Amino acid sequence: MAFSPAIANAIAALFLDESARERMGRIDFRDAGHGYDAFGMHPSYVALGEVLVSPLYDRYFRVRSQGHEHLPATGPAIIAGNHSGNLPIDGMMIWLDILRHTHPPRIARPIADHFVPSLPYLGTLFARGGMVGGSRGNARTLLDSGEMLMIFPEGVPGIVKPWSKRYQLQQFREGHAELAIRHQAPIIPVGVVGGEEQLPALFSSRRLGRLVGVPIMPIPAVPVPLPVRYHLRYGKPIPIPDQFTPDQADDPIVVRETADRVKRAVASLVETGLKERPGVFE
Amino acid sequence: MSETPHRRRVLVIGAGAPIGEALVRVLLNDDQVSHVLAATGHPVDTFPIEGREGLTVRSVDITRNRQLHHLLFDTAKNLEIDTVIHTAMHSSATDEGPRVHAYNVESVRNLMDHCERHPVIDRLILRSASAVYQVQRDLPVLIGEAHPLNMAGNAPQWVRDRVEADVSACTRMGMGRLRITVLRMAEVLATGTGSQLYDYLESPVCFQPAGFDPMINVLTIRDAVEALTQAIHCHKQGVFNIPGADTLPLSEVISRWGRLGLPAIGSILTPLYRLRRRLTGHDFRYGMNRRWFIYSGVLDGRRARDILDYTPTHPVDWPVTDIAPFSEAPGGI
Repeated sequence: MAFSPAIANAIAALFLDESARERMGRIDFRDAGHGYDAFGMHPSYVALGEVLVSPLYDRYFRVRSQGHEHLPATGPAIIAGNHSGNLPIDGMMIWLDILRHTHPPRIARPIADHFVPSLPYLGTLFARGGMVGGSRGNARTLLDSGEMLMIFPEGVPGIVKPWSKRYQLQQFREGHAELAIRHQAPIIPVGVVGGEEQLPALFSSRRLGRLVGVPIMPIPAVPVPLPVRYHLRYGKPIPIPDQFTPDQADDPIVVRETADRVKRAVASLVETGLKERPGVFE
Repeated sequence: MSETPHRRRVLVIGAGAPIGEALVRVLLNDDQVSHVLAATGHPVDTFPIEGREGLTVRSVDITRNRQLHHLLFDTAKNLEIDTVIHTAMHSSATDEGPRVHAYNVESVRNLMDHCERHPVIDRLILRSASAVYQVQRDLPVLIGEAHPLNMAGNAPQWVRDRVEADVSACTRMGMGRLRITVLRMAEVLATGTGSQLYDYLESPVCFQPAGFDPMINVLTIRDAVEALTQAIHCHKQGVFNIPGADTLPLSEVISRWGRLGLPAIGSILTPLYRLRRRLTGHDFRYGMNRRWFIYSGVLDGRRARDILDYTPTHPVDWPVTDIAPFSEAPGGI
């Protein structure tokens, strides 16, 4: 990073109030010896992340969220949600929402597509805030350590889907279901409403994406994301440990059915959210 | 960890290098080791430890199979050596060619051939390196023993030799009475150990690829020796990662080492460090280490902890140690 944790810490100390500072000091993470965990996360950068994301969360996207009682206080868990909006703002909103609404604060470790760690600056900044590259080994290690993962099972096709397919869930990959069964982690579905309208795209170009090192580049219809209101709704956990043994992670049918079940749960939360919101900006 | 039923008699190959020499010193004070045969590539009279009971020093050119054979079937046999530790690796990344290959790879192959026929030797421990692993964006940060190896066809000889020696030893495991252990060690931040990172840190200004700050793990000689001694006293064979006690971002390694880190466009770093190599005689090759300077790669030491009972306990004695932790920083949260 261009600046040290001490600077990140000092900036965070300037902008966070005392209770937030005290809360951030209680973040549970596995220090690999120099204040960082093995994946590069550092509590000072998490605090800085809160400072940077809070204005978007509180004032711009005015996030409303419910169902925090479903977020486990400890132990391995997977947050699985719908992905949308051409920019990963939905992930940032969930990250901060969980950080604020868990006690002690938990960091939902975003599992990013492989291209993200190779983005200069952004990849490093995200890693300091808890993001990890989307390899199976990384996810396994984190679940073994009792961490909470944030996964968007639709992947890139979800975030770049065209306007005409908004709020239509794309195919859910199965990795999250397999991981949850093998590591006996509950899956907490989350429905995100608002993200689809934040940055409508005219079209998406794979060729342009390749030029900047991303799989696909959306060409937005507006210069900046619109100030839509985000609604996050966490559903009842799917109690994987009660229903499956780790061996069943090798059963393709069980894994596929579990992924479908997660998809149905997320779709239901999205549908409820859409019905209940008064308008895109309200 | 299983205890050995008798005191071991140990041959250390590469005793003239820092890790080998430190290992010999530790073994001479180890109650469970009754004799140490130190094999060095330098003249015997230059070996820094002399006149110690339980120590025999021999000068051997391990690229010469005949000399290696004599060492094992003459001196080692007479001394009833039962354990061989091979720590010798050509340290310079600039040197290439058949003689370097013979030193790094053929010596290991010959050593295994001899040990398998040897009447007394039943244990071979090979020092390998984390450089054998592939590091890339879609691979796990935490590197387990089953992690992909760097088999790239365009990899420099420095890497290819290490991979070949490592794999050669792995393919012989469980094939005979010789119990083989391969220790894939993190970079040892010390001179004379072949550490590319150490050589990189020799400059007052260290250039990093802009926008990247990977997590790395570094090892000290004390922990490297600790791992080797634990392996001597353990009956299990296999491959083990040997991480150090320090896991931190590259930028922090640079600042703790008292150097100035400067970001630079990745594409100019290879020619820049090539120029440095030519002008100053340093050994660091950026192109060879490029991915380690972009993507995080940290050795997972759980298997070594569970089976060898090895846990790194000696962090690097950083020249700059006064970096405040999160909770103690000014205005700390």
